[in-house]
Amino acid sequence: MTITVCHLYPDLLNLYGDRGNVMVFAQRCRWRGIPVRIMEVNLGDQVQFEDYDFLFIGGGSDREQGLMVEDLTARVNNLRAAVEDGLVVLAICGGYQLMGKYYRMPDGTEIPGLGLMDHYTEAGDTRLIGNVVVDAELGGIKTRLVGFENHGGRTFLNGIQPLGKVLHGGGNNGSDGTEGARYRNVFCSYLHGPLLPKNPALTDLLITLSLQRRGQDHRLEPLDDNFEELANQAMIEKLLGKK
Amino acid sequence: MNLRLILAVIVGRLAMFASRLTGRGRGSSLPGKLALRIYPAILDHYRRQPRKGVIMVTGTNGKTTTNNMLVGILEQAGHKVVANREGANLMTGVVTAFIRSGSITGRVSTDYAVLEVDEAVFPLVSSLIKPDMVVVTNFFRDQLDRYGELDTTVKKVLEALKKLTSDAKLILNGDDPLVARLAVESGLPALFYGVLPVQELSVGASYSREAKFCPLCGASLLYGIYIYSQLGDYSCPGCGFARPNPDLEASAVFEEETGIKAMVRGTDGHWEVRLPVRGIHNLYNALAAFSASLSLQVAPQTALVSLGKYLPATGRMESFCYNNRRVLLNLVKNPTGFNRALFALLGDHEAPKQDVLIAINDNDADGRDISWLWDVDFEMLALQPEKFSQFVCSGQRAEDMALRLKYAGVPVWMVDIEKDYQQAVDQVLNGKGDSVGILATYTALWPVEKILSRQAERVKEHDDYSLSPVS
Repeated sequence: MTITVCHLYPDLLNLYGDRGNVMVFAQRCRWRGIPVRIMEVNLGDQVQFEDYDFLFIGGGSDREQGLMVEDLTARVNNLRAAVEDGLVVLAICGGYQLMGKYYRMPDGTEIPGLGLMDHYTEAGDTRLIGNVVVDAELGGIKTRLVGFENHGGRTFLNGIQPLGKVLHGGGNNGSDGTEGARYRNVFCSYLHGPLLPKNPALTDLLITLSLQRRGQDHRLEPLDDNFEELANQAMIEKLLGKK
Repeated sequence: MNLRLILAVIVGRLAMFASRLTGRGRGSSLPGKLALRIYPAILDHYRRQPRKGVIMVTGTNGKTTTNNMLVGILEQAGHKVVANREGANLMTGVVTAFIRSGSITGRVSTDYAVLEVDEAVFPLVSSLIKPDMVVVTNFFRDQLDRYGELDTTVKKVLEALKKLTSDAKLILNGDDPLVARLAVESGLPALFYGVLPVQELSVGASYSREAKFCPLCGASLLYGIYIYSQLGDYSCPGCGFARPNPDLEASAVFEEETGIKAMVRGTDGHWEVRLPVRGIHNLYNALAAFSASLSLQVAPQTALVSLGKYLPATGRMESFCYNNRRVLLNLVKNPTGFNRALFALLGDHEAPKQDVLIAINDNDADGRDISWLWDVDFEMLALQPEKFSQFVCSGQRAEDMALRLKYAGVPVWMVDIEKDYQQAVDQVLNGKGDSVGILATYTALWPVEKILSRQAERVKEHDDYSLSPVS
């Protein structure tokens, strides 16, 4: 079967090289002989989220994010149904905040999110900026994720499961030691870098889940991940020191 | 007599001397740092020194080149000029430039100060030294972690411009909507420069395009032609904002082996411009400097002579020679500049096969977030792998660079990680290709340039106008 990827608003949300996530997801499918098709969905385009296997949404600047909220709110029921059905989603930074209940501004006004998940975000006094290492358990395997965060919002999980535990960096809010969030097959994170290239275990989990949703339950063929592991390890050593 | 000022200058000068003596650093920002600490009002004093005016050059790319070109033109015209020609474009670099050119008592005998100012510190510096003229080159995404988002940067520059006196003059790149908007919104008198938008110049879609929406009303911008990134022939269907009719416009652009030439039409005539550096981005830089000089009443012929012998500063397409092979060194700092550099590699028909070194660091001056490498169109390299013999990745983030090339589709056997600069340079200098291309971020550029100048011969076409290198 062909995996169909939905890259949401690539025209709007093109900060921090996040399109690298889509490129890496697609390449790792192709290298295994799994056909993959990337559809770019922009403001106002017709979309049925159920038809997709993997959805990626990134972050943008404030104004662009405003435009996106408006557009997505109009399609929220369609998206919610797909998420509840097990659509695999990766949401980064602004996209992550948007999946939750609201973003509270310093003056107390709340910008409503899509409310697909229970987390909420409050504006912070300073930005959390820097390299991050996270301990995560992915498909039963312990993995160390690395990335770069740059966000002013403080996100609180409100009962939902984090993506992992912060070993270095700020994470969701700089205080509770969590990073990112998970709900069904939705994975959220503040990490740019982009996230997927240096964290192939996460990429492969997303591919596996996309296939499983279509009833294809098989182990992925291993790839030569030499560069991936070197890049991941170099950052861990830089931040945590050599083992 | 102001003793604190004198003390500040003396300490600054000692620091300059010491750094030259020890050979550590190039002494282009520490002197200013110390002097500012001793006498914070020092810029106020220096503001009053230039007899004819203060000109600032800001924007994302091309600041150093534009600034150096304008300095060259003004000097050619017989003016005395103070400038921070080393690319030291933060507050401390600006102060250092004045200290270097002035006397112990802080007197600076000069006609103009021509100052390259980083776009993020422009609001601060321009509030302390009110410029009489501001040249804005372009706005691209650059080192986001240091500056916040591009929108914010542009808005801050705009707010700073609004605080200038109403006779301050703007020299603006009319082909960049993010720059052209500054005239509309600041209300300051402006001259626009641009390149006639014709299909032959369009290099096709590039991902790292910034202005998809009208900066004034938010509607989607319509483009006739993209020249590169968001530069081109734009118009807004919503509010009518559009590419202004340029006061200085280049056409008949022709890339030659040794540089670029074009016809340039101004309000008072038209001329042929010939530059000894390649790339349409350098034509834009020359148009910016030429516009500014015409506005300062420099004779066009004088400006053209000066532009014709422009020599690039370190890392702005510097040439070396090693064993009869050409070695090109280029600074890369953001997706647009990196794409331009890759186009230059692919467009080199003299060299059928090239060895390429890419050195990526993530120090503060490089930008600590290197995510932007994923916005560079490395895929274009994978489309023509036969043009390359190898890619050596070096610098603190060598592994990330190798990974990026792998996912761009460059065969992994062509990619090596070599974190040691010396080894990395040796590997490309002794490679199997016909020429060598080296691309490095800011702090990786120095060590690489140092090794190159020891091992290879620097190619100089004009010895009479040499610039000091970047710090």
